[in-house]
Amino acid sequence: MTAPDDNTLHAWLDGELLPERRSEVDAWLRDHPEAAARVREWAADAAALRARLDGVLDEPVPPALADVVWGTAPALAAAPSVPQVGAPASWLRWAAAIAVFVLGGAVGAALMWRVQAQPGALAAGGHPAAEPAWVQRAAVAHAVYVPEQRHPVEVGAQEEHLSRWLTKRLDVPVKLFDLRAQGFELVGGRLLPDASAPSAQLMYQSIAAPGASGASGVTGASGNAATAQRVTVYLRKPDDATPAAFAYERQGELGLFYWVEGRSAHGGPTGYALVGALPRERLLALAEVIYRQGQSTP
Amino acid sequence: MQAPTAFRQQLLAAIPRLRRYARSLVFDTHAADDLVQTALERALAHWHQFDQRRDILVWAVAIAHNAYMDDRRRQARLPLAGAARHDAHEHDDGRALPSAVELQPAASPDIGLRLDLVAALKQLPLEQREPLLLVTLEQLSYAECAEVLRIPIGTVMSRISRGRTALRALLAGHAPHASAHGLRRVV
Repeated sequence: MTAPDDNTLHAWLDGELLPERRSEVDAWLRDHPEAAARVREWAADAAALRARLDGVLDEPVPPALADVVWGTAPALAAAPSVPQVGAPASWLRWAAAIAVFVLGGAVGAALMWRVQAQPGALAAGGHPAAEPAWVQRAAVAHAVYVPEQRHPVEVGAQEEHLSRWLTKRLDVPVKLFDLRAQGFELVGGRLLPDASAPSAQLMYQSIAAPGASGASGVTGASGNAATAQRVTVYLRKPDDATPAAFAYERQGELGLFYWVEGRSAHGGPTGYALVGALPRERLLALAEVIYRQGQSTP
Repeated sequence: MQAPTAFRQQLLAAIPRLRRYARSLVFDTHAADDLVQTALERALAHWHQFDQRRDILVWAVAIAHNAYMDDRRRQARLPLAGAARHDAHEHDDGRALPSAVELQPAASPDIGLRLDLVAALKQLPLEQREPLLLVTLEQLSYAECAEVLRIPIGTVMSRISRGRTALRALLAGHAPHASAHGLRRVV
């Protein structure tokens, strides 16, 4: 192997090489101790840099910056970079910031408790989130229909007019997303009222693990709905066609990803909200599949 | 429409690393926090542009970088007074002249010509310093670094290579560029 150039050695140190190239450089460095020593020096400099500057990470977030994030900063921009040390007000600011955090935690805990105790009461006032109202409606629709055993959907997945019906009523393309690779199968869908027009909810249910369904012979082929995880996809015609990036919101145990597609493969702009009591990563994986399938032609 | 709580929480969690990045860029604690504040304000104003599939730190760092560059451009346009106020240690080419303040007396006289780490960092041209910090300190990938700085990934690669080699040379006590003035004896 010819000697790797410096760029390659730096990329090796930064873990940027593909596995094959990486092992080539590994081997080359073993045979070239002087080069290996140089790389070690770079690594030592990097470690020294981190040691020197990592201290910032352990400092408490200055209250002024936390205030900016929570939108509670009273004209802070007018007084930047004034050293707070020793100022009598700094204690008050700290106390106020701590109070805000404690209060925020208490409100969050209370909300969590309410959501868990009473899944239908998601829309109860007082939630500090400011996501669009239709996302709130998606969360409520989820909470209302997901616990439903006998009538979770209006039209079952097996009925082939489901997609056509919802597409026609919503005036946006309603595609039946295939989430089986992610472990969820379509139960069906229903038509719902939104603010000024209809919206649709598609319900998906986790596919029972093989063996589990066979063992529970009592419930039969329909699977055990009581233990199955359910997620819902809420679709609507957006108020305007402006595409919006993926946004995430958590309400107690429920996670919501919502976004607006300016143009789908079928034409019209569509607002989506994916709702489920899943960890953020799993919900995001589902949201990405839905997004991709919404983009592709059927 | 106001930013959702979840977004604010993500942003809050990114503050410590944003502060580290800002401090490695402007060094002065208060100036660095001013930069962080500007970045946070811009992030909140454009929260709806954040794609939740992405890493919020990379997004916020890109905003901080842009804010810093805006600030530099603004300062550069101002004659004299502005130039003096703006990072007094830096020349227009981004290469720093160490001042007496920066070159803190070394702990041991044995260190002789060796520069303090931060003083050495300041001597790197900004175009080398920033990618090096993003990758070494913030542990961004080359691709993320390219995205933040809006330069091709090959450029990131070569700037990191040159920056790291230059930093090593400075720390070893010999000038990477023929700039003897950067190596004032510090004891």
